Amino acid sequence: MNDIASRLGLDSRAWVRWAVPAILIIALYIVPQLAGSTAFRMGEYEEVLSFLVIAVALNIAMGYGGQYILGITAVFAVGAYGAILAAKYHPHDVGLVAMCIIGGLVGAVGGLIIGLPALRVGGFYLALVSLFAALAIPTVAQQWAFVGADTGIPLYAVSGFAPKLSGEELYVIVASLVLLATAFSWALVHSRVGHRFVALHTSEQLATSIGIRAYRTKLLAILISSAMAGVAGGLYVYTQQFFAPGSSSVQFAVLLLAGMTIGGMGTITGPLIGSVIILGINQFFTSFQQYNGIVFGVLLLLFAVFLPNGLMARVAVLSDRLGLKPPRTPGAPAGRPAAVTPDHVPGSLDGVPEPTAATALAAKPAARLPTWTPIIGADESSPLVVTGAKRAFGGVTAVDDIDLTVTRGQIHGLIGSNGSGKTTLLNLISRFYSLDGGQITIGSTRLDNRPPDAVARAGIARTFQSPKLMLRESALENVIPAVELRVRCSGAESILRLPRGIRVNRQARTEALEILEALGLHHVMDQKAAALPHGTRRLVEMARAIALRPSFVLLDEPAAGLSPVELELVAEVCQNLARSGVGVLLIEHNVPMVLSIADTVTCLHQGRRLFQGTPAELRTDSTVASVFLGIDEPLEASS
Amino acid sequence: MTLFLTALFAGLAVGSVYGLIALSYTVVFNSTAIFNIAQGDLMMAGVLVSYFCLDRWHLPQLVTLLMIVGVVVTLSLVEERVAVRPFVARPVVGLGWFIATLAFSLVIETVASIIYGQNPVVPIPGALGNGTIQVAGVHVATKFILAFAVMIVVMVALEVFYKRTWLGTAMRGVAEDREVAALRGIDALRISRLAFIIAGLVTALAAFVVAPIVSADVTVGLTYGLKGFIALAAGGFGSLRGCVLGGLLLGVAEQMFDLYVSSNYEILAGLILVLIVLAVRPSGLFGTRAVREV
Repeated sequence: MNDIASRLGLDSRAWVRWAVPAILIIALYIVPQLAGSTAFRMGEYEEVLSFLVIAVALNIAMGYGGQYILGITAVFAVGAYGAILAAKYHPHDVGLVAMCIIGGLVGAVGGLIIGLPALRVGGFYLALVSLFAALAIPTVAQQWAFVGADTGIPLYAVSGFAPKLSGEELYVIVASLVLLATAFSWALVHSRVGHRFVALHTSEQLATSIGIRAYRTKLLAILISSAMAGVAGGLYVYTQQFFAPGSSSVQFAVLLLAGMTIGGMGTITGPLIGSVIILGINQFFTSFQQYNGIVFGVLLLLFAVFLPNGLMARVAVLSDRLGLKPPRTPGAPAGRPAAVTPDHVPGSLDGVPEPTAATALAAKPAARLPTWTPIIGADESSPLVVTGAKRAFGGVTAVDDIDLTVTRGQIHGLIGSNGSGKTTLLNLISRFYSLDGGQITIGSTRLDNRPPDAVARAGIARTFQSPKLMLRESALENVIPAVELRVRCSGAESILRLPRGIRVNRQARTEALEILEALGLHHVMDQKAAALPHGTRRLVEMARAIALRPSFVLLDEPAAGLSPVELELVAEVCQNLARSGVGVLLIEHNVPMVLSIADTVTCLHQGRRLFQGTPAELRTDSTVASVFLGIDEPLEASS
Repeated sequence: MTLFLTALFAGLAVGSVYGLIALSYTVVFNSTAIFNIAQGDLMMAGVLVSYFCLDRWHLPQLVTLLMIVGVVVTLSLVEERVAVRPFVARPVVGLGWFIATLAFSLVIETVASIIYGQNPVVPIPGALGNGTIQVAGVHVATKFILAFAVMIVVMVALEVFYKRTWLGTAMRGVAEDREVAALRGIDALRISRLAFIIAGLVTALAAFVVAPIVSADVTVGLTYGLKGFIALAAGGFGSLRGCVLGGLLLGVAEQMFDLYVSSNYEILAGLILVLIVLAVRPSGLFGTRAVREV
């Protein structure tokens, strides 16, 4: 059976992937037929549906963007109040569309008021400030006659307000809006904007190292999410024709969070399913409501501890394991690597089997690496110059008055024992630490007063000592955001799949793929980074740095933990980068490797510069030998 | 002037309670790098204990205090075991711990409202009686003075503990770098438990002094919990004095808002305060250190 199907070009199991969403969509539309369609019931369904829009909104900010705007119910409330007030005072002009737009705009403003200050600290600050807003908004509304105080605004009592939609027609439209919101969230997540959200969520350092502006990106996540929650507010008041302080509370925010967590944040369908479960229990088991808090609290706790990614993430893992996802790269089945023959890996130890090489670096890298001529910062040919760099942590001076020049087209090796200040120096250059003294420049541009993402956008890419990858994403998806930094395109075009958006999305994918291929990683491109062995992760990270097409690359111990084959590849990549005109700063403990490929070597010792010169000079330098080997003669007698 | 002074003293008293909550957050965060949102509801539990002991059972104040300490510290330890330890034992990824403490908070609140039922808000007698003392020409309730005094004592005690004792240093070290602390023979789990005991004590004292001020009410947990955070954010994260000053500032700001703007919208005072402080000085008004990476 399977054979026939696959010969026909059909994957017999592909339908399973689509079955679940298809069933959900059908179920969504036939709920009234199944569970009763009295006016009261319809009102309840529509209430839950507008809550689902909030769940989708929260999922964008929290599940993908990692921004815990838990008190999003505050934004929902102000959006709803905006919409219902507009309808109250202009009952003849305002309909569903206008109410959703007004709700969205008011919600977006509300989100900005919370997000702008709270994001300056980030983390749980946003969670708490927004929760406080979720507490404050209803409390204020209770006292404010303009918004109807405690009793709220009954829109059905406003003469002249006659909604055009009702009954099943309204239900179908509301259900379709929920689908639209979900589809939008899918499109967003699979766009350059979504890639940036996930990168930032994974690690702020990783994101800024590929030029993502952290604050702006977080704010965008909040803004999109808030606008959508505001739309939900508009939808809510149109369908319920009522809004009161009790319609949104902190408890409601906690319910939403419970639904998200149980269903699975950071998956498209998880928050919807989770919210339906939680809100359904809350809405329809009213006799039990007094105890709901205990049930939800315990469930939430259990999920947070034992299944933090929720039900749908679990389902995704299971369906991966069952092979329900069709392989996207036919002809390259995972786990059956092509053989690596020694003649393709010059310098490897002959006759010694290389287990890591066989599993990790399975495919043969390109015989000749392509050129990676700099694109970002390419119009500036000056070297990267560090002068008098100084940095202390408490009483320890980690980097003390260091001068260093990385010339374009050359490899600058940086060696020294652990704690000698190599990584600190690198972090100073990429601005993860600020300098206590000295400066860093390229030509006339000073970098030492710029944020880290600006350093990346000035053309300086880097890797990390312990690779920072988006573990839930594939190798390819890890490289794509770096390409996207330099391929200009607006976020909206990318999300909405406008012509240029489609072209650029495709281009980013192709370029990322080319770089992976050059490094012999195309066979793992669809594998989740979490499943990759350490050496491969390092190479993927290197691919990401190259994908920026930078003028300078800072590599932090790229060879640590690599197999000889991979080591050879790293050396070749460094040389190729230099040949392409990139300046390479190579931090490494593998001194023979550094000496064999570097043009200049700097040796640090206890934060100070011990030596700088060519590899040949290093071999004959007596200070280096005495400090590191405790001998008075140089490594090699000077010839 | 009298009105102003009366508002000022009331603000300092309520602010002291915010300060105490902020201190308990800091004690936990300093050793576990976890922000325990349930702290407010732990305090609420203490307030309810106080109500049952004093109003229903007519127990003496000292016994009441012991009961509060017993209940709050026990709940605190239960929370540490079920909601926090799983996150202390493994590397912290994301804010899962935040969700866990919020969940615990929800459970406490639900159980409390079931136990307390639909009872109306009942005033609770203060430890020093319901009298007043003349200060600067105005009558100040003794319950206000007690709150302020307890907060000062707790802050000084914590400062001495952290600065002068080996254990205090160890507790700060664990949050700073768990691995290095482990290498020095510090058991992160024991420290985490200890932090919850100390934070529980601080919260119990907060409950004891706040009970006569707020009366028995299940919703105070959430409100005071969030206001304690605002005290912390306004004052400066991680600093004990910042907590206290932030708490007093918030308390006084609320009373002044009541007096000069509108008592209906008192809650806005806190929201405006925290938004302005974060916009102008994200590290908090009295925070000298850079904000930690939170």
